[in-house]
Amino acid sequence: MSSCEACVVRNRAICAALDTEEVGALNAIGRHRDLVAGESLIWEGDDSVLVANVVDGVLKLSTGTEDGREQIVGVVYPSDFIGRPFGQTNSYGVTALTNARVCVFSRRDFDAFARQHPALEHKLLDRTLNELDRTRRWMLLLGRKSASEKVASFLLELSERLVEPGCKVDFGLAHRRLSLPFSRQQIADVLGLTIETVSRQFTRLKTEGIVDLPSRREVTILDRVALEAEAG
Amino acid sequence: MRRASLGATTARMWPYYPDLLATPVPRYTSFPTAAEFSDAVGLEDLDRELAQISGDISLYVHIPFCEKICWYCGCNTGASNRRERLVSYLDALRREIGLIRRRIAGRAQVRRVAFGGGSPNAISPTDFVGLVTDLTTVGTLVDPVWSIELDPRSLCRDWGRVIAGVGITHASLGVQTLEPHLQAAIGRLQPREAIVAATGMLRRCGITSLNFDLMYGLPGQTLDDLRRTLEQSVALEPDRIALFGYAHVPHLIKRQERIDARSLSGQRLRFAMAEAGHELLTAAGYRAIGFDHFALPGDALAQAAEFGRLRRNFQGFTDDASPVLLGLGASAISIFPDAIIQNEKNAGRYRMRLSQQKLPAALGVRRSAQDITIAALIERLLCQGEASLGAAMTPALIEALDPFVERGLAGRAGDVLTILPAGLPYARTIAALLDPYRQDSTRRFSSAV
Repeated sequence: MSSCEACVVRNRAICAALDTEEVGALNAIGRHRDLVAGESLIWEGDDSVLVANVVDGVLKLSTGTEDGREQIVGVVYPSDFIGRPFGQTNSYGVTALTNARVCVFSRRDFDAFARQHPALEHKLLDRTLNELDRTRRWMLLLGRKSASEKVASFLLELSERLVEPGCKVDFGLAHRRLSLPFSRQQIADVLGLTIETVSRQFTRLKTEGIVDLPSRREVTILDRVALEAEAG
Repeated sequence: MRRASLGATTARMWPYYPDLLATPVPRYTSFPTAAEFSDAVGLEDLDRELAQISGDISLYVHIPFCEKICWYCGCNTGASNRRERLVSYLDALRREIGLIRRRIAGRAQVRRVAFGGGSPNAISPTDFVGLVTDLTTVGTLVDPVWSIELDPRSLCRDWGRVIAGVGITHASLGVQTLEPHLQAAIGRLQPREAIVAATGMLRRCGITSLNFDLMYGLPGQTLDDLRRTLEQSVALEPDRIALFGYAHVPHLIKRQERIDARSLSGQRLRFAMAEAGHELLTAAGYRAIGFDHFALPGDALAQAAEFGRLRRNFQGFTDDASPVLLGLGASAISIFPDAIIQNEKNAGRYRMRLSQQKLPAALGVRRSAQDITIAALIERLLCQGEASLGAAMTPALIEALDPFVERGLAGRAGDVLTILPAGLPYARTIAALLDPYRQDSTRRFSSAV
């Protein structure tokens, strides 16, 4: 049984609009799902339509094209709200890139709850507009950017979204150390590049003094302005 | 040939010849018109057309719901009071978007997305943004032009955030009339203040091209009623005005039975209203676009007309140059160079097709080479006012054109047919002379004016 009070994204997710009592009520209709890296989210049972909050981890949203290719339509991070139906053909699937925890609600239950809580409804519009922005930026990245722009954009996004719970994001910090929650191969898959290209880009950014690579899974952003310029 | 009195009943801008306007004619928002659609065309044709798509396309999304349905309305719409119906419809629409995405991803650049209905703002702002997010993954959206039809009565503040957040620049408000007694007669009560407030909000939220839909020929409407509404509308400075004549066809549109036919204007008064509207709006600085559209000189529509780029589609006159329009939603129509295909009109059947993971193509028409030629000629005539007919200028056509040419409504020089300024109200009637599908069509088409 999940406990909203202890939830790491309590203050950032859509539930931030609710008071303690309301959160209690939301708690009753939500369920935690834990996923290991690579696992897809599927809702069993009659009501296959659901919405979810990302509590922890990073997940990808993807859809298939007719000739069998996978098209990634977004990447979601803690406190993101996923409001489209999934688990059905032709809607997008949700797959964990890292071990992840999501809080899921049947869409019907959530809808009913939202209608009774205007504050949530209002927050929902906020979130949905964020989701639109996120999707647009993502499609722009996929469609138009070069390999170097893609890698730089993705690193910037990770540095903004993978914030330690409770930490204030402080861009005044000259150095920003990032723990990459996934491999170079996974990054390549998500960006539609080869692992060689991704590795080459990482090396280049290091050579130019824009980032440092203390280990295979860590990136320190040394020159944020330069990274933003790289992102296009 | 009957030579009726050539003395016009008015010596004004448009001479009135009722005999020439007697036969109802199509609006020619497509050719062949919807009257020629049949279920011989369907999913196979759509599959074939989708496989060939590449380059620029436009999208149209139909939301067949209104909070309150006006009595005059011929659009495909239904009451939005039951949320489950809306939610089921949106689920089906999402599924259709997914199916289309799988077929055309990577092969098409979407330049325009238009929402129509019904009232697109009959769904919640959040649901609308969700829809936009789904559309964002169809093909490649290259900074498309977003446009939306709106009901000013249900335009809450959240819609302002949506319009700004999505980046919608084109909007069309259903105004129809600002006279309270006429609003009561058509079942559409909306105080002028609501229009003023809506206009202000839309401008603040980023709408740069605002259209008002207005009507003449409403039950009990006088010329003064029309003038007042036009003056008050012009004062709000919309970039475009579409001034439609009410088409009373209760045998086709059942809800029109609520309109009192006895107080409807006869054709002469309708004609006078169309003319008064034209005079008033052009004097106020609007450029006439065809017979019933008006646009300020800086607006994209006026620019298109000025530079010969005006086109015509189901939304009326347009500056959209995409050769392909994909229609999504119940009753939506897709246009391809050699076919026109319409989705299931009934929302229930539309949902059922999609629940089977099938695109809901239901009827349409394939376009022959001749159809394509005539479509281009009719479009050019209605949009540019002139067309070079080539082989289409047959002796039979020349004879049929005589009454129009004699009365100074049309001009013919060699194979070039011109609709003269005095002949603007007769444009559709003249275009119909090129239409091989046209038959005596009192029941099927709308009044020529």
